[in-house]
Formats: sequence, structure tokens, C-alpha cells
Amino acid sequence: MQNSKQFLVYYLLLVVCVALAGVSNAAPIDELIASAKKEGVIEFYGPSTLGPEGAQAFAAAFNKKYGLNIKLNFSASGNMTRDVGKVVGLAASGVAPEWDIMVVTDSHHGSLWFRKLHKVFDYKSLGVDPKIIEYDNGVVSIANQFALPAYNKKILPAKDVPKKWEDLLDPKWKGGKLGVLSSVHHFARLAAGPWGEEKTTDFVKKLAAMNPTLSRAGEMAQRLLLGEVLVSATMQDSQLHESAEQGAPLVFAEGVQPVVSPEYHVGVLKGAPHPNVGHLFSVFMTTREGQQLWEKYTGHSSAYVQGTKAYKYVQGKQVVFMKQDQAQLVDKLTRQYGKIFGFDN
Amino acid sequence: MKAESRSEVGAERWDVFSRFRASGVSLFASGMSVFLLLLIGVPVVMVILMSLRTGFPGETVPLTLENYVEVYANPKTYQVLLNTIIFAVASVSVTLLITVPLVWILMRTDVPLKKTIYVLLTVGILVPVFLRTIAWIILLSPRIGLVNKWLQQWFDLASPPFNLYSLPGMAFVQGVSFVPGAFFMLAAAYQSMDPSLEEAAYTSGVGKLRTFLKINIPITWPAIAAVMVYLFMTSIAVFEVPAIIGLPARILVLSSLIFQSTTPTTGLPDYGTAGAYGGIMLVLGLVLAALYVRLVKQGKKYTVITGRGYRPREIALGRWKWAALAFVFLYLSLEVFVPSLVLLWTSLLPYLQLPSAEALSSLTFKHYLELPSHVGVTPFINTLILMFAVPTVTMVLSVLVSWIVIRTQVSFRGFLDTLAFIPHAIPGILMAVGLAYLGLAYRNYFPLYGTIFIIIVAHTINWIAYGTRTTNSVMIQVHRELEEAGRVAGASSQRVLWKIVLPLIAAGVLNSWIWIGMLSYREVTMSLTLMTRSNVVISTVVWQFWGSGWVPQVCALGVILILFAVTVVGTVRFALSRIGEIGSAN
Repeated sequence: MQNSKQFLVYYLLLVVCVALAGVSNAAPIDELIASAKKEGVIEFYGPSTLGPEGAQAFAAAFNKKYGLNIKLNFSASGNMTRDVGKVVGLAASGVAPEWDIMVVTDSHHGSLWFRKLHKVFDYKSLGVDPKIIEYDNGVVSIANQFALPAYNKKILPAKDVPKKWEDLLDPKWKGGKLGVLSSVHHFARLAAGPWGEEKTTDFVKKLAAMNPTLSRAGEMAQRLLLGEVLVSATMQDSQLHESAEQGAPLVFAEGVQPVVSPEYHVGVLKGAPHPNVGHLFSVFMTTREGQQLWEKYTGHSSAYVQGTKAYKYVQGKQVVFMKQDQAQLVDKLTRQYGKIFGFDN
Repeated sequence: MKAESRSEVGAERWDVFSRFRASGVSLFASGMSVFLLLLIGVPVVMVILMSLRTGFPGETVPLTLENYVEVYANPKTYQVLLNTIIFAVASVSVTLLITVPLVWILMRTDVPLKKTIYVLLTVGILVPVFLRTIAWIILLSPRIGLVNKWLQQWFDLASPPFNLYSLPGMAFVQGVSFVPGAFFMLAAAYQSMDPSLEEAAYTSGVGKLRTFLKINIPITWPAIAAVMVYLFMTSIAVFEVPAIIGLPARILVLSSLIFQSTTPTTGLPDYGTAGAYGGIMLVLGLVLAALYVRLVKQGKKYTVITGRGYRPREIALGRWKWAALAFVFLYLSLEVFVPSLVLLWTSLLPYLQLPSAEALSSLTFKHYLELPSHVGVTPFINTLILMFAVPTVTMVLSVLVSWIVIRTQVSFRGFLDTLAFIPHAIPGILMAVGLAYLGLAYRNYFPLYGTIFIIIVAHTINWIAYGTRTTNSVMIQVHRELEEAGRVAGASSQRVLWKIVLPLIAAGVLNSWIWIGMLSYREVTMSLTLMTRSNVVISTVVWQFWGSGWVPQVCALGVILILFAVTVVGTVRFALSRIGEIGSAN
């Protein structure tokens, strides 16, 4: 009898301890939710491939999960480099950013990180995996893009499809048949990674000498569809995903390696008008619901999460990921390659 | 003695009253001059200031010539300058090759369907240039252009005869787009041309073509030259065609260099370099403006005031009527029919494709249905605000300036007139960059950055030159007697302006109001440069859609915009015709 009583006391003590632990763990998220509720709005900058429908689906799921009624204003990216440049310029002029959070690639967030334009946050305390927290708690990684040469499979014969990066230097692509995207950071990652700076810069110069058609990703997809450009030196898989949804026959030149894999990061901007909603939304994007929504609307998932489409894709391939310590070099080479191609002066 | 004193006193009082009124008018004219000087001068000063600084707006940095050294020591700058001049000359040439015969055919001959043609010319302006450029890519791209493919097939050619991605290709597209504006400018000159020499030639048995070449062109040459200079100034500043056709092929002109500097593809905005490039544009623009003013003055020697009801005899074309009509409809096909058809076709496709049976079977209306969720309401509201506010402010200022210039004896009215014309010498992109710099660097004093009001200011400055040219020309045709009668009856200058002058010029002012509203609705360069999330307008939405690759969606939006603009213009014109020509100038 006495043993039963003792057991009951210990059991009750254990229940109380667990309950208290639960309360203390819930506190940070509850505080964040309460603060977010007061802010009421989030200005969200994200890839155009997410689309307004995808953004509003995120808003609905986010509000449902945390019991909020946050209004989400979505700004689709037209040119991530230009818009990141705008944030930097506005910050230098002392003007608050237009957006609370930006979902852009790791190299774009690198440009913000150098200039300390992230509002850092202890994401780990809210259960986010430390492996995906980058830039000194400034951002979290939510998905992986993949970039490879791309073409229109209804127009380009199979025998002409590039099998390796060097095939892009074949003279048959001269005179505008080859396209190069404004996302020249794809090449900068190869330089920071397995190729090294010298080899990559030489490759870029040779590519530029082919007089490629220069364009942004969306425009390039149109030129591939029309057959105006036969192969794009690189193209993001998000563009292919969007084209596939419309029934358009754009595909990767699979087999080309290494595969470049920019990551999508989400981070709250310094001076953002609604930082608490921004942090909470960033956390939400790393949850199972957030990840499922992101994959549904953009075709992307995280290569760090077992079982995802991205995780399966990278198996057995040489993939180039960028890390924080490479960001400076990637930034420098991106500007350099932009001038070599003729995107900038 | 007493009677003489009374009349002397009366004359003295009238003299004092006249001098008081004259000084009031001078004060008002001075105020207008200062206002315009600030409105136009401040952005220009900003451009010069930013060219002498490095870094971002608002940063405290010393003045430096570093940007000028970088720009002028770079051989690429001179290549770009040469490209700009070649592009401008070629565009103007294309425009005049089409416009001069077009004006003669429509103003001087008995070609049928004139009213329909005038309406179609107006519709041509409503299609934004960069939407038409998409159509030209589908037609004249060296690899996939339909025209090239057909010509290669029919004539067994080894290579495509046309290459859109070249300076001539760019100039062709730009030149065709200038025709409606050039037409209306030259048409006015033809209307006031003395027809007696032309008629004497026909009476003497000289043929129509010879008369056109030996008489019409020489007589209207000053007007043609003035239009050439005006268009040349515009060509130096345009951005859309160089951006969509030139940039992918790395053919740069000054406007694309400035845009690249402020919104680079890699790296950060460089306002200093943009300002240094802008200096070249400013100098070119001011020189050309001076030349334009001189040519317009010369042109007035060749005009007659024709009076009410005078109509020159229409030339009977006979069997040449059909050739003339074919020429007109060939141009309209290039400007209106083909681009509109391509827009409509593309808007119904799931994704961009060339015409084919497969494409035909996949037509869908889904892009029209999805537009509301993609675009939202804000861009439409902002665009409507622009379409109302810009022409209203511009025409109010224009009427006031013209009244001072044409109707008063203020000694500096010539300076005021020149000041009102100067904005045309300053490229729109430069004006927008200057305003953006002002808004960022001095936002405490000029808190307009990021609002729709900064775009209203930019557009107003841009079109005040056009507005004042119009109000000058309508006001000059109103006889002074009516105003003088009002003053003799004791009405103040303001009352005379409001009750007598304005009703007489209302039709001309309203026409310009519509015109400027339409130009503001389709303008993209300045709106894009000043764009933030809060002041997005339809033209920048179209640009963003294009950049994101949402081409069928762009075209769906374009079709809706054209229908909207045609409805608005048609309704207002119909309303004006019902009201009648109030106090027409004859």
C-alpha cells in the first residue's frame, strides 16, 4: 500500500514536471504568436514560381496553424539580384525595406548578410534544425533548387543535347542559339566549389565569346519554347516546373554534372515593419505543412530531409551546395561574370 | 477747367489701374516661372549632383569627378553613343518614310475611309510598345520569325533576310511606333499650309508625284524638320525597344546603360555612373531643343491663317486610290492589326507557341479568368489615378503658361515658354532617376518616394512640353477682340480667362487631356524606375509578367487594356462630338 502511494506521488510529480517543461518550452512560440497577432500583416517577397495562389495557400495554412488572421501581401520576384540591390540601397539611405521577409537564394541572402541586413533570431529555440540555420541566425534554408542546362525537347534533337558542361562550348551554339541567364551566380558556385576560380572563369569567358542570348529566366523560357534559343546554359528547375504545369516541353540536360544546387533561404530583413510575423512565418516554412505546400506550388523540397523529391534527386550525383564561408567569393565572382557576359558594365 | 480735371483724374486712375493689373500679371507670371523652374530644375540638379557622388542616396560623401572619369575614359561609352545616334537617325527615317506620304494621302487626297483610318491611328497608340515588340519577335526573329520562314521558303533563301536583333531591326520597330504621333504633328502643318502653289502646279498639268516632291515637301520642310528633331530627341530617350530587343543581343544605347546602372543584373545600383551617362543625354537634349525651337519659328513663315470654312481642294487619285489605300492599310497592319492579332492569339495559349494545328487545339480562356488573382486591384486603382491626375495637372499648368505666353505682354514670357518646353529635352528615364534620388536622399523634405504621387510628378513634368505646345496653338487662334471686350466691360484677367478664353479652347484642351491620359496609362520607363510595392501600375505589372515569363498572361492583360482604352477614348470622343466644337477656332 505504502509503495503504491509512493508510486502515485512520484508519478504525479513527474506529470507536474512534464507539464511545467511543456509550458516553459511553449513560451517562446506563444510570445511570438502574440506579437505577430499585433502586427497583423506580412509583406512577403518570394519567387514568381510560387505565384499569388501559392502565397495565399501559405497564408491560409499559416493562420490555421497558429490561430491568426494575418494578411499576406505577396510580391513576386522579377529579378532577385535587382531587388536585393534595392534593399541594400534603401538601407544605405535609411529607408525601411518594402518587405518583411525575402525568399531568395543563398547567394542573394549572402549579399544581405555581408551588410548585416538580416534581423537575426534564435530559430533553434523554436525547434528549427540547426543544420538549416545559416548566416549567423539570419536565415533558414527551406528548399533546394537545381540548375542545369535546359532545352525544349520538341525542338532539340536528342543527339544535340549536351552531356557535359563543356559541350556548351560547341561552335554549333554560336550566334544566339545558346542562352545565358542573368543568374550568373550558378557559375560562381562552380568556381567556389569543385571547379575552382581559374577553370570557371576561363569557361565563362569562352561561353561569353559564343555571343549567347542574354535574358532573365522567365524570358529565356519563352525563347526556348519558341525555339529562338535552343539551349540555355543554365535554368532553374522551378522554371521547368512552372512550364510543365502549362504542358510546355522544357527539360534539363540530365547527365550533366556537377549539378548546381542553390538553396532557397527565408530571412527577415533588418528594419522590417512586421518582424515578428516574419520570424513566425519563417519557422512555419520549415514545418511539415510548410514544406508540403512549398513542394506543391514550386516543385521544390529540401535535399536535407530524407525521403523528399530533392533528397532522392541528389543521390548518386555530384552536387554543388554553397556554404556560408563561400558566400564572399560567390558574390565577387557573380559581379565579375555579370560584366564578362555583358549583363552589367 | 473742372471737366478737364475730371477726365484727367479718370485717365490717371485708369493708368494706375492698368499698371496695377500689369504688375499683378507679372507677379503671377513670375510665380509660375519659379514654380516651373523648381519642378523641372530640381530633378535635373539631382542628376548632376548624383553624378558627382559615389555610394547611395543619403550617404554623406564628398563630391568627386570619379564617375565622369570612369564613364568618359571607357571606350564602350563612345560605342554606345554611336549606337544611340544610329538608332535615333534610323528610327526617325523609318517614321518619316511612312508618315510623310501618309499625311499627304489623308490630308490632301480623296482616299476613302478617312474617319476609320484616323480611329485606327489612335488605337495604335493604345498598344504599349513592348507588347507590340513581342509580336515583332514572332514575326522577325532570325530563327523563328514567321516572315523570315515564309520568305526563305518562297524564295529559297539560305539565311533569313531579316534580323530583328540588330540596330536596323530595333530602329524599324521603334520607327513604326512613332508614326501616329508624327502623323498628328505633321497633319497640323499640312492643314495650315498654303495650297495655292500646289493647285497651280496641278492646273499647269504637273503630275501628282512630281507636285508632291517638288512643292509639298519643300513647303512643309520646316515642319518636317521640326518633327524630325522632336522625334530624334525622343529616340535618344526611349527604353522599351532597346531593353527587349537590344539587351539580349548586347546592343546598348544610352537609356539601357542608365537603366543597367540603377537596376543592375548583378551587384548594386550605381547612381553616380547613371548620372554621368545622364550628362551626355542632357547636353544632347538641350542642343536639340534649341534647334527644334528655331525650326518651329521658321516653319511659321510658311503657314497661313485659313479662316472658317476654308478647305483646300482634294486631289482625285483615280485608280491610284487603291494603291494609296493599300499603303495605308499596310502600315495599319504593321502598327495595329498584326500586333493585336498576335496578342490575342498568345493570350489564348497555355504557353507561348508558334501557330500550328497543335497550338490551335489547345486554346483556352484560363489566363483571362486567372488575371484578377494575379494582378489584384491596386495596379488598376493606381493607373486610374494616373490617368486622371496627370492630364488634369498638366493641362491646368499648360493653360496658365500659354495664357501668359500668348496673351500677356510680360517681358519674360519667352523664357517661360522655353522653360515649359525644356522637359522634352530631358529623357524620361533621367527625370525619373533624378526624382528617385531626390526622394531617397531628401525624403524628409520630399516624402514622395514609393507613392503614386512621385509618378504623377514625373509624368506631369514629362508632358508639360506637349501640353503647352497644344494650348499655345489653340490659344493663338482665339481672336483678342473677345477678351478685350471683356476687359473693357470691367472683368478681371482671371474672369476673362475663366469665362471667355477657356470655353473657346475647351475642345483642344479636352483632346489633349485624353491624349496625355492615354500616354500616362501606357508609359513604363518612368513608372518602372520609380516602382515600389505601393505604386505599382498596370504598365509595370505587364513588364514584371514579361520578366517572369508569364507571356500569355501579359497578352491577356494587354487585350483587356486595349479594349478598356478603346472604350474610354471612344466614349469621350463621342461625348465631345455630341457637345460640339465649343468656340472652335475658326
